[in-house]
Amino acid sequence: MTAPASPAAPASPPPPPSTVRLTIEGIPVEVPPGTSILEAAKQAGVLVPHYCYHPGLPVAGVCRMCLVDVEKFPKLAPACATAVADGQVVHVHNEKAKKAREGVLEFLLINHPLDCPICDQAGECELQDYTFQEGRADSRYREPKRFNPVEDFGGDVLYVPNRCILCTRCVRFMSDVAQDPVLNVSERGDRAFIGKAEGHDLTHAWAGNVVDLCPVGALLSKDFLNKARAWELDRSASVCTGCSQGCNVVLETRDNVVVRVKPRSNTAVNQYYACETGRLHYRWMNRRDRLEVPLVRGEAGVLVPAAWEQAIAAAARTLAAAPRLVVLASAGLSNEALYLLSRIRGPGGEGVFRVETGPEAPLAGAPDLALRADRAPNGRGAELMGFARHDQPLAALQAGDTLLVADHDLAGLDLAALDRAGEIVVIGTTLPGELVSRVAVALPTCNVAEEEGTFTNLRGRVQRFLQAKAAPGEARPTWSVLGDVAEAMGRGRAPMLPADVFAALAGDHPAFGGLTYAGLGLRGLPVLDAAPAGGTS
Amino acid sequence: MAIGVKVVERPTGEVSYLRSTLSGLATTFRHLVDPHKVTVQYPEQRWPIAPRWRGTHRMLTTEDGKAKCVACGLCPTVCPANCIKLVPGEDEQGNRYPLVFEIDEFRCIFCGYCQEVCPEEAIHVGRHFENAELSRDRFVYDLARLTSQTHDVCELWDPADPKGE
Repeated sequence: MTAPASPAAPASPPPPPSTVRLTIEGIPVEVPPGTSILEAAKQAGVLVPHYCYHPGLPVAGVCRMCLVDVEKFPKLAPACATAVADGQVVHVHNEKAKKAREGVLEFLLINHPLDCPICDQAGECELQDYTFQEGRADSRYREPKRFNPVEDFGGDVLYVPNRCILCTRCVRFMSDVAQDPVLNVSERGDRAFIGKAEGHDLTHAWAGNVVDLCPVGALLSKDFLNKARAWELDRSASVCTGCSQGCNVVLETRDNVVVRVKPRSNTAVNQYYACETGRLHYRWMNRRDRLEVPLVRGEAGVLVPAAWEQAIAAAARTLAAAPRLVVLASAGLSNEALYLLSRIRGPGGEGVFRVETGPEAPLAGAPDLALRADRAPNGRGAELMGFARHDQPLAALQAGDTLLVADHDLAGLDLAALDRAGEIVVIGTTLPGELVSRVAVALPTCNVAEEEGTFTNLRGRVQRFLQAKAAPGEARPTWSVLGDVAEAMGRGRAPMLPADVFAALAGDHPAFGGLTYAGLGLRGLPVLDAAPAGGTS
Repeated sequence: MAIGVKVVERPTGEVSYLRSTLSGLATTFRHLVDPHKVTVQYPEQRWPIAPRWRGTHRMLTTEDGKAKCVACGLCPTVCPANCIKLVPGEDEQGNRYPLVFEIDEFRCIFCGYCQEVCPEEAIHVGRHFENAELSRDRFVYDLARLTSQTHDVCELWDPADPKGE
């Protein structure tokens, strides 16, 4: 009864020689041959309820939830594993299909505990949603439910076997996508559970995805456990800052605190996945030791809070008076901020940055997807803006140079070189302790979760990220602060919106030619391939 | 009348307050001699409180004295007055429990939704209304205060017995 296995349906279907026409719920659709009914229904805007099917995984057809009524078929067909045929008429929501789904739901709920109030998945649980939509109001099962204790799967994953509906998405992810087959289905019948290979843990760099793939609350993130309810979270589209891959993510905040990072699907970059490092790379966004007001060195030689206008004027004066300007820019800044920094730097100055590195961790089953060695989101963007990458960027500092530190981390740098600097200006989210006694002006900026902008990933794809939370104190978006400083130095007009900066950037840099801020959408576009690294005006 | 206000003669007999004053006083004097008394000598005597009265909150506890609450977050979600503050935590056995559970009785509108939504039958509105205090901050009830209350709790409306009989 299993139809021709069509793995990973939307993964680059070649231009079809012909198309298949069928009708789903009265809506005519035209799809390439070999498409599953479920994917065709998606195209028609009809959601076929399903658990085991996932577009990124091979089809298993085990949950029986996607049963649909196809005219002239002797019995109901699983929509995920049945290929479309010309002239088919499919009913998703007729009595026969609904009754089948109601039965499937009743079976799934036989051993499912009624612990939605304490389950982290509540609110984003597909079992909860479908039961509410079309399940029975009560259970006819009177016998005691099966009970298995909670198991720690290692890594960030906790397994609650009682809630498991055995869709095997996690098993298929680990064996086919991560290609580290540590999970299996152990035992049979109602005793079945997800087992873990003896002596192995879910420590694979991408293992955290099983938590997202799990349609119920059986696989939970230990990091997010009991932290927030799904309906309390505010979500905004962003780009992961953990490495230069630029995975599309959603930042989820509660009460202005980022509590979770989840992948956002983008078949051109990260498919449906995010790695463990990226998932846990959010705590720094909530740090409390932020620079919150503009500081200017007063007459007594002590930093005193100043109004924004005075602080920007002071910064512009210091930078304009520089005999030679060295800009130490973080590779975590947006393209917009780096572009404005290159304007402030001018042709005579020097721009440098350093990127933290770590071991690379590829995801075997996905093309060109890995946790990259460069652990910063915008190293490519910085290079395109004419910043040079160094292991010891402060070595570029010559005696008497003015140093502009733009949100760059000082950890691991040769700080003895700072003694050569004449004046130091800081524009960033924090004021490093080493600089407190030396800095002339410090301007507070927003971090990546508090402003919007774009990053260029290592393949040259420009992707937008949106604001997720409010900035502390008087901090302003980096592009706004840098734009004001550049204007005060007489280097162009201050932008009103990040889109203005992007338009100016696209005009100045041939690599970005033809791109518009709005045109990038939320999935990004690649820069021109002929981009010479470091082409500034 | 520089701006030309029109003065209308009013019929004095119909607008006189004398008649209604007298009829009002008649009611007063009739109650003076009426045997049916409605006045209750309040602190000593009390009216019975209705079984579905929604008053001061109370958190019920398990046999070992812990609050029944599992910090599911439904009551702060359903609360129309936003008066419940809840921070979930995890105890040594890995059970979910409320680290912080506070109800601002000033802000509460006593709709009773929190009791209705609670899946654990933990939080209740009570058949109790005498919650005067000498300082304002005492009106934010924390978990210890909510669990130490002993008054009766509100009975929920039973659809099978709509009149409560």
